[in-house]
Amino acid sequence: MFNWLSDVLSDLRYRLRAVFRRSAMERDLEDELQFHIEREAQKLEAAGLPRDEAVRQARVAFGGVERIKDDTRDVSGVSWIETFGQDLRYAIRGLRARPAFTASVVVTLGLGLGANVAMFGIVDQLLLRTPPYLRDADRVHRVYLTYTYEGKELTDGFTEYARYLDLTRLSRSFETTAALASNRTAIGVGEDASEMTLGIVSASFWSFFDAKPALGRYFTASEDSIPAGAPVVVLSYALWQMKYGGSRNVLGQSIQIGPVPCTIIGVTPPGFVGIADEGPPAVFIPATLYGYGVSSARGRVDYYNTYHWGWLSVLARRKPGVTLDAANADLTNAYRLSWTAERAISRNTPTLEVARPRASVEPVVLARGPNASPVAKIALWIAGVAAIVLLIACANVANLLLARALFRRREIAVRLALGASRGRLFGQLLTESLLLGALGGLAGIAAAQWGGSVLRSLFLQDAVTVDVLRDVRTLAYAGASALVAGVLTGLVPGLQAGRASLIPTLKAGAREGTYYRSRTRTTLLVLQGALSVLLLVGAGLFVRSLHNVRALRLGYDVDPVLYVRPNLRGMPLPPIERAQLARRLVDASRAMAEVEASARGISVPFWSTEGLGFFVPGVDSIRRLGRFTVQMASADYFRTMGTRILRGRGFTDADRPDAPLVAVVSEGMAEAVWPGKDAIGQCIMMDSRSAPCSMVVGIAENIHQTSLEPEKLQYYLPIEQIRPEEASVFVRVRGNASDHAERVRRQLQKIMPGAGYVTVTPMREIVDPRQRSWQLGATMFLVFGVLALVLAAIGLYSVIAYSVAQRTQEIGVRIALGARVRDVLRVVLGEGLRFAITGIVIGGGVALWASRWVGPLLYSVSPKDPVVYGFVAVVLLAAALMASAIPALRASRVDPNVALRAE
Amino acid sequence: MADEKLDLPQGTLDLLILKAVSLGPVHGWAISERIRDVSKAALQIPQGSLYPALHRLERRGWISAEWGASDNNRRAKYYELTRSGRSQLQLEANAWRTLTEAVSLVLDMG
Repeated sequence: MFNWLSDVLSDLRYRLRAVFRRSAMERDLEDELQFHIEREAQKLEAAGLPRDEAVRQARVAFGGVERIKDDTRDVSGVSWIETFGQDLRYAIRGLRARPAFTASVVVTLGLGLGANVAMFGIVDQLLLRTPPYLRDADRVHRVYLTYTYEGKELTDGFTEYARYLDLTRLSRSFETTAALASNRTAIGVGEDASEMTLGIVSASFWSFFDAKPALGRYFTASEDSIPAGAPVVVLSYALWQMKYGGSRNVLGQSIQIGPVPCTIIGVTPPGFVGIADEGPPAVFIPATLYGYGVSSARGRVDYYNTYHWGWLSVLARRKPGVTLDAANADLTNAYRLSWTAERAISRNTPTLEVARPRASVEPVVLARGPNASPVAKIALWIAGVAAIVLLIACANVANLLLARALFRRREIAVRLALGASRGRLFGQLLTESLLLGALGGLAGIAAAQWGGSVLRSLFLQDAVTVDVLRDVRTLAYAGASALVAGVLTGLVPGLQAGRASLIPTLKAGAREGTYYRSRTRTTLLVLQGALSVLLLVGAGLFVRSLHNVRALRLGYDVDPVLYVRPNLRGMPLPPIERAQLARRLVDASRAMAEVEASARGISVPFWSTEGLGFFVPGVDSIRRLGRFTVQMASADYFRTMGTRILRGRGFTDADRPDAPLVAVVSEGMAEAVWPGKDAIGQCIMMDSRSAPCSMVVGIAENIHQTSLEPEKLQYYLPIEQIRPEEASVFVRVRGNASDHAERVRRQLQKIMPGAGYVTVTPMREIVDPRQRSWQLGATMFLVFGVLALVLAAIGLYSVIAYSVAQRTQEIGVRIALGARVRDVLRVVLGEGLRFAITGIVIGGGVALWASRWVGPLLYSVSPKDPVVYGFVAVVLLAAALMASAIPALRASRVDPNVALRAE
Repeated sequence: MADEKLDLPQGTLDLLILKAVSLGPVHGWAISERIRDVSKAALQIPQGSLYPALHRLERRGWISAEWGASDNNRRAKYYELTRSGRSQLQLEANAWRTLTEAVSLVLDMG
């Protein structure tokens, strides 16, 4: 039964003895064989031969002692370890003897590997890693709801609390469901109040994890019951450490969450982040507590039985044995029943036939779900790009090794002639490149550690940061890719050496080492050129997208504008006083020297939109024209935002509640609603056909309210005439808004009553995330593209320089026969350019072929943009010219006397 | 001198060595002597294979080795069959007998 085990053990014992007591074993073997010969000699002596003759015959009969020793050693299992040790020592000696070569290889591999390791860390964070502590991760899903609205199919990862209850009640395929949301909310009071991320979860959420609280307990279903929930809070480990110094006395203490004082009942274990959609939460509170009291100081009474307010995600854990298809069908059925329930209380809800609602279970991680942000996609692209850079780096190193192997051809041939096996030679070259790979891997980890923090801040922003050196997954990836790089780079020169034919190499003198154009090297070089072209084309496309997106006129200015939002922290303030506070904020900001203009407005581009029903005399169905968005704004709004009034006027202080009702419409709305007519003087009626007329007094340019796609149906109403109590403010400063944000905040904070506070956000911070994917793409493609170009240029340089060195004699002869400097230059430069052109053609072809996948990630640039392709071709040609210029000049200075005499 | 030597079929060398060692501790030279004597010089183990084979069998744990004094008081390496070596010998011997009997049956046919 245990035979195999004892076999393995005796084998191991023998091998270990063989390795560690090598000299003793060697002596024993020698003794054993000598003993044999001695006994044989004694036998022959006894048969009557003289001593000398007996010994001689015994030796002859025995055969080659050394060969037998070799064979025995092979059997003893010591050889491969020993061989590897020898090869390693040999490789280290070789690398130390050529520090420049070693350094360039290690740096090249280090850059390539570093880029890869850093990108792996990011992709792993964004896409691959399951949230910590999550159990049965393969059965846990996020629910997405799909329905058709105005002819368009929409998929939504967020829904209402009532819907969450419906889906839980009406589906059968799931063990547990949980509600989940996050929001930034003021936590604490007075001086140490600050906005932090709130984890809003149902009590069932905790059962999705194998995470014991570090202290206390989690909340229970009875503390998370409709309508109001219980004012309890679970601290994150990080907040517990930071704010309470890890004190065990926190249980029972009170902490203010938004308007509600809550009791601390527990602390999550370290590293627990729940499902961190918007960065790790600072605290966790019951979903019902948020739905009722935290989200609204007045207490929201209908959040759990109406379908107005979609704010949470639904998590679901499939029962074992239920297939995905079955779960989707079951969930869709539940959703349709819920839809019918919604229609029963809300007449506006379209019918099942129109909306065609269906539900599906999708990955928990947002970036892998149907509504993934382009950042995740771009991260994948960049990871691909990093892999290409590594490929180029490997090609470069393989080329360098190959060049070295060619210089060593004679040495290798001599060793082959002396009986070294080709396998052994191959092993030796491979050992060398594996060693280089390992060194490059170390350099890569260092590069990833250093450069990775820059990359991570670009991609992940406030998400959990990863320390490369402490992250086992990333380190394992680094090790594996270093190994692959080592094998890849070693394979080519290794195989080449194995193929070398002996006789011609040995016969050829140093001089006759005729110009040897290696097809492998040429291929590698063209490959590098092609890959650089591919990356540079990508870089060009993204740079142009970014340029277009930046140049896009949004319909308002971004850099000089600040968005100011007062937060009363739930303090009940009558509408009149709220309106007064808003006016005071505007006045106070206008009094500041650096402020150019300020005005009130309720919706924020890209953050929020408002829609109101309205009617236009003579137009039957206004909704048929599309979706209209409305901004309610005060006097000076258009000047503050920088939105141009094309005709007529904007709002003034005269547009008071008692003054005639007015409106401003966008250019696009004017054309769509009153085609061929002058919109100014026309009438729109808010809410109902019998409402008084709001007369159009001005036409404003179209703005981008919700997306970077063209939008045009917008109108504006005077805030004082429709919702005077809304208090958010836009401030336009002289110069860059970010520089003044803090001063404006301090100034306005003075006005806030009670515990209220203001948040001040530069518009740039609101708009930038929209442009981030192009910014990322442009930056990363450019960095990696240039890296690739530099690597390819170095590769080209080394190959041309090598070929010039090989052809010194030939060039000498040419010059002696009357070739001019120009001819020599042409020959060498021509060689470099040929490589470049081949690379451009191949790389350009691949880029054109691959362009259809990048297309959707670009912004008003054709993925086949001829300017980009042309520019890249010129850049590559220039790089090739520069790389071959130095060797070309060297060639032109060849002195025929020296070249021809040298032997 | 090896004109009459038989080529050993693959795998039989191990069997012969195991058998030779099974009779008690013995050193390399004695093993080859023993096999030659018993087989009436029909089987001669080439030294080139004997020692690698001995070390291979030791590595597999079928024989163990110990240094001792030989009959003429020289240091010699003595090999001995281990327990797993004994069962291996049995296994291989049985297989060999079955094989040779079967081959004889076929040869004697008709």
